[in-house]
Amino acid sequence: MLVAFLMGAAGLSAQEISFTATVDRNSIAVGEHIRLTLTLTNGGDRFDAPDLGRLVVVGGPQYGSRMSNINGRMSTAVTKTWIITATAPGKYVIGPAKATIARGSIATQPITIEVVKGAAGGDANAAQQQRANANIFCTVDLSKSKAMVGEQVLVSYTLYSRYGSLEPVAYDIPPLNGFWSEEIELGNITLDNVVAVNGIEYYKAVIKRQLLIPQRPGRLRIEAAKLTYRANVNWFGQGTKVEVVTNPVDFTALALPAGAPADFNGAVGELKLEATADRSSVTTDEAIEIRVRLSGRSNLKLLDAPKLGFPGDFETYDPKVVDRIAVTAAGMSGSREFQYTVIPRHEGRFELGPIGFSYYDPQAGAYRSLRSDPLTIEVAQGSGGGGAMVPRTSKSDVLMLDADVRYIRSGDLELRPKGRFLFWSWPWFAGMSVPALAFVLFVAWYRKHERESADEQGTRRRRADRVARQRLREAGTALQSGERAAFYSALSRALHGYLSDKFALGVAEVNTHELRERFAPFHGGQALAEDCARLLAACDMARFAPVEDRPRKELYEEAADLIQRIERTARA
Amino acid sequence: MKRILFIGLLAFASQAHALDRVQADSLVARGVRAYAAGDHGAARAAFDSVSVEYSSAALELNLGNCFFKLGDVAHAILHYERGLRLAPGDADLQANLDFANEQVKDRVGAPPAFALGNTWAQLRSGADPDQWARRSLWASMLFFTLLGLAVALRRPVFRRAAWAAAGVALIGLLLCLGFAWVRHSELRDDSEAIIMAPKVDVRGEPRPSATVLFVLHKGTKVTVLQQDEQGWSEVQLPNGNVGWMPPATVERI
Repeated sequence: MLVAFLMGAAGLSAQEISFTATVDRNSIAVGEHIRLTLTLTNGGDRFDAPDLGRLVVVGGPQYGSRMSNINGRMSTAVTKTWIITATAPGKYVIGPAKATIARGSIATQPITIEVVKGAAGGDANAAQQQRANANIFCTVDLSKSKAMVGEQVLVSYTLYSRYGSLEPVAYDIPPLNGFWSEEIELGNITLDNVVAVNGIEYYKAVIKRQLLIPQRPGRLRIEAAKLTYRANVNWFGQGTKVEVVTNPVDFTALALPAGAPADFNGAVGELKLEATADRSSVTTDEAIEIRVRLSGRSNLKLLDAPKLGFPGDFETYDPKVVDRIAVTAAGMSGSREFQYTVIPRHEGRFELGPIGFSYYDPQAGAYRSLRSDPLTIEVAQGSGGGGAMVPRTSKSDVLMLDADVRYIRSGDLELRPKGRFLFWSWPWFAGMSVPALAFVLFVAWYRKHERESADEQGTRRRRADRVARQRLREAGTALQSGERAAFYSALSRALHGYLSDKFALGVAEVNTHELRERFAPFHGGQALAEDCARLLAACDMARFAPVEDRPRKELYEEAADLIQRIERTARA
Repeated sequence: MKRILFIGLLAFASQAHALDRVQADSLVARGVRAYAAGDHGAARAAFDSVSVEYSSAALELNLGNCFFKLGDVAHAILHYERGLRLAPGDADLQANLDFANEQVKDRVGAPPAFALGNTWAQLRSGADPDQWARRSLWASMLFFTLLGLAVALRRPVFRRAAWAAAGVALIGLLLCLGFAWVRHSELRDDSEAIIMAPKVDVRGEPRPSATVLFVLHKGTKVTVLQQDEQGWSEVQLPNGNVGWMPPATVERI
């Protein structure tokens, strides 16, 4: 029996050794499985999986052994079976497997596998990433690849892993350019969700989620992130370090359409506006709190305070911002409240607002303007702090808010015929020459008149002179000869004769009274009358009394002069 | 003599107009109403038809404002400049011109305005273009009257005073004539122009292919030195640069 057994053993060793690799099929679609079986007959079990290239092991190896006794000949066969698959179409080669046997080694023949494109299995992005590394990969997904500036976009980093345990070592996530981002809290991340991608099962977990708000239009890119993990860490070893590089993702930010309202400042979403004042009647210099609340789904954290546009009677301070904003995978929602402190400086009844706010509604594709109800504030004159304080108005410069052209003129525009001017025109020449001509005419007339009047005067003077000389001729002769009585008598006669001739009087009528009357109409006639009377009296005196108070010559000259003066005066 | 004078006055006073004063005044009133109602186009049309026959600084102001409100800054400037020529130193016209000029693209180094510029301009020319011509008529009347008195007066004291007064009047007359002459030549001067084309290449020679020396934009004021037969104008900027501009790009003030 023992011999027989030994014989059997010897016979066994002498038996044929074979090593084969078989697959259940040579052609599969992506995601389908192939069963690879290595069978070593009569050679022990020291063999391992062949080089599988880019084929992925999904299951196995499963061990099997078989003993058979055929016709007294014992044979043993050891089989190892793997379930493999491919992540992309193409030709794959299963390399030769090597087995170590008693004398040397033995190898199998390589097997060619054809993989065709299968029905789309699961996430296309994941399938794409799977090709790089089928054991662990990470996808970056955007909730939409195109969005308006200001619209919210969700980005998710999903890790797929086939490792039993993973420990994060480092996340190298490049900064975002052109986005405003807000991290979404995910809590504990556990890799416990099992999904199959192209027939391969993975543990899947969302490891990072961000809310992105594009800030400028154009093509924006989320750069590839590098995640480093340590896999299969256990009590016995450090595990292996694995690196995962995500795919860069392109994103198109669309500019907001034209025609934004004046008070639009970038709010996108769906909003409601509410304005309240904490009281409606105050005294001057008492603060009022005005709350402007914007609520809804929008890029709330980016909203600027709306302009109040309150009258200058109110002093307005920068608002305090109170946020009640939740950032979840569903986006940003909640409310942002602006609390303005406003101090009225003048009493009166004021209507504040309406406060306006505009946003873009991407659902409707249109701008929407919100208007709050106006707030009515009753302001009474405050005590001004009490005491002996005299309330003083604080002066402030007049603010120039805008500029415009000055208004047109109305009424009489002082229109004048176009292009016609008085200067150098006919009427102007006429107007200039009229005074000159008038002057020339005047001078000519004046010269002539002067000449004429000069002639007349000369004649008159000469005639008066002649009359006097004639009248006084006798007196002159007597003056020359020195006869006293004859002189005075002649002088007296000459004067009497002249005066009676002149005024057509009788000799006896020549007396002081009469002369005064006759001379009255003439200018200076009174003096002439007096002179005549005086001279006549002097002559009579000298004729009848031997009194001579003045030289005769003087008396004679006076008489001649008097006659000349009378002649001149009485003519004029 | 008197006959000639009479005919001259008649010729000046009763020139036949297609548009008489009553019609013109009603057009102005219509323009003012349209402007007040915000219909600047209708206002411009009304003022424009008045300006065919008549001119005044106020009319130019109204026209300029209409153009400004219609967005045509170049024409607004043109009319403000025309108004200022009729009434130098008019505060409204000057303010509106300054405001309109802020919208002109080109900034050419204009010589800084003399501090007394406006006061002097107002004194020199006043609101009425005929002011000095009329003053010269009064001065000539005064001068010859005084001269006549100096000849006719008998008393030496009066005579001497009249001579002295006539001398002063003569100086006044000559000044009036001088100012009237300067003002007249100013009013006749149309060498200044405003660019009406949105953008003009100013070239070194009056040919379309000549070198472009500089580029001017709508609303800039230039001085036209001369014009050739093809309509090219040689223009000068306030800073002294000279070049040729193609036809129909400027409008004279």
